[in-house]
Amino acid sequence: MKTNQKKAWFFLAPTIIFVTLFSIYPILRAFGMSFQSGSLIDLRWTGFSNYQYIFKDPEFWLAIKNTVLYAIISVPVGLAISIMLAWIIFDKVKHKSFFETTFFMPYVTSTIAIGIVFRYIFNGDYGMLNFVLRCLHLHAPDWIDDPAMSLTTIIIFGIWSSLAFNIVILMGALRNIDPNFYTIADMFGASGRDKFWRITMPELVPTITFLLTMNVIGAFKIYTSVYALFNGQAGVGNSGTTAVFYIYNKFQIVGTPGVAMAATVVLFLIILFATFLQRKMMKKIGEY
Amino acid sequence: MKRIRIGVLFSYIILFIFAIITVFPFIYMILGGLMSFQETTSIPPTLIPHHFEWSNYAKVFARAPFGRYFFNTVLTASVTTIVSLFNSLLGAFAMVNLRFKGKGLIQLVLLSLLMVPGEAIIFTNYNTIAHMGLLNTYVGLVLPFLTSIFYMYYLQSYFGSISDTIYKAAMIDGASDWDYIWKILVPMSKGGLFTVGLLSFISGWNSFLWPLLVTNEDTMRLLNNGLSAFASDAGSETQLQLAAATLTVLPILILYLIFRKQIIKGVVRNDLKG
Repeated sequence: MKTNQKKAWFFLAPTIIFVTLFSIYPILRAFGMSFQSGSLIDLRWTGFSNYQYIFKDPEFWLAIKNTVLYAIISVPVGLAISIMLAWIIFDKVKHKSFFETTFFMPYVTSTIAIGIVFRYIFNGDYGMLNFVLRCLHLHAPDWIDDPAMSLTTIIIFGIWSSLAFNIVILMGALRNIDPNFYTIADMFGASGRDKFWRITMPELVPTITFLLTMNVIGAFKIYTSVYALFNGQAGVGNSGTTAVFYIYNKFQIVGTPGVAMAATVVLFLIILFATFLQRKMMKKIGEY
Repeated sequence: MKRIRIGVLFSYIILFIFAIITVFPFIYMILGGLMSFQETTSIPPTLIPHHFEWSNYAKVFARAPFGRYFFNTVLTASVTTIVSLFNSLLGAFAMVNLRFKGKGLIQLVLLSLLMVPGEAIIFTNYNTIAHMGLLNTYVGLVLPFLTSIFYMYYLQSYFGSISDTIYKAAMIDGASDWDYIWKILVPMSKGGLFTVGLLSFISGWNSFLWPLLVTNEDTMRLLNNGLSAFASDAGSETQLQLAAATLTVLPILILYLIFRKQIIKGVVRNDLKG
């Protein structure tokens, strides 16, 4: 039966109009603008000059370095902690939904508001964190005002924020594992450790792949949490600048949209490459 | 036997430590918003204020138009939610129940657009809105978000689980597509629509970068932008910053605690959020 119900286009019309105007057009426009120079009202084609500019700009490299470091530290650490916590809740705790509700709270709350609270907790003089560290006779660094600490502070805040989504998704995946696997393993006298590494982890591989992808994409887009932690700045002396910060700065403050869009295209390619790379990696692990 | 018990105890300790780390910032925010200035900066830090300074909230409202921010945020988050839900509903219906040429292509284009990070297009969208002369307007704040590929995709999976024979039977009974959508599809997927609505409202409430770009007048700011501006202006008055942060977080936190089951289920089900 070959029917062509043209009325479908009527129902799809609002979606198609908005998507064309605010998703497809801006992608093409961003790509085009990356080859143009001048201010927004006076753009001229200048070929690859914007790309040449950013690749020579030390600030761009610092932004990329910070963003990549943030991604490769905060994502695996956050995910490892999430797996550990999800497994403990799933395996050992009675009031599972209570803990799930608790750990999910950061996901629904505003990053700006919580960033302000973290700035207060991280305060070098009267912050709660350094008070605890001093009580334990540990080194109490100046988390906010020391440029060398900026990235560390951002990473800690990033890990804290990432647990929520990871734990809830992992709990969903753990619930979907066939309980018979564990029953059979018990009959053969498998230890808790065996069960975790031979049943749970292999069953979680697809979910972990999914979470890695989501987390890496999220990590490369980091902006709001830095803004909140350092009160609108990218850390002292721009020490904690990130790719999106660089783009925002070049677009809105410096007024060179072409440079901003060239950086956007590069960031987008990095995200694509990172996603591709880790999909391949996880496939290998899955086969193994 | 004893080794296992120690293992369990150890797990519990880890779990409680992380639970405290997760919840502490929220509790500290609420308590800190009720402290006096001296208490917020004392060493050792104050945990529970000696006397609840409710006047902090009066000061916050006196210093910045938080009432206006609330109004703006509720308005834009509600409009975005309702209109994008309506558009996604119609689109998802067409993709699930109707057969037409080009359906595969549409699906492919939409799915690939899901992969594009919002930050990559937000600046050129700013450009579009500026050209339309919509900076500092409510229309400008909501326009790019009036449809959501993500929610449409989510609803498609919801509608897909409703048997196609119901649609065919409705058609035979002489119902129009419009009747089918409102009398059958919507009532049957109330749960899914409600969850999508909640998630959309929450993300609208927490939006930051877009309103930062398209508004610069104080009266058009949304809550999070107002909050970050207030935090810079209030400088060292930590207790006021924390009171303002509480104002921003508390409504959503209450909404979350009421609907926690639907929200968590919705997030786990969608598995795709970007």
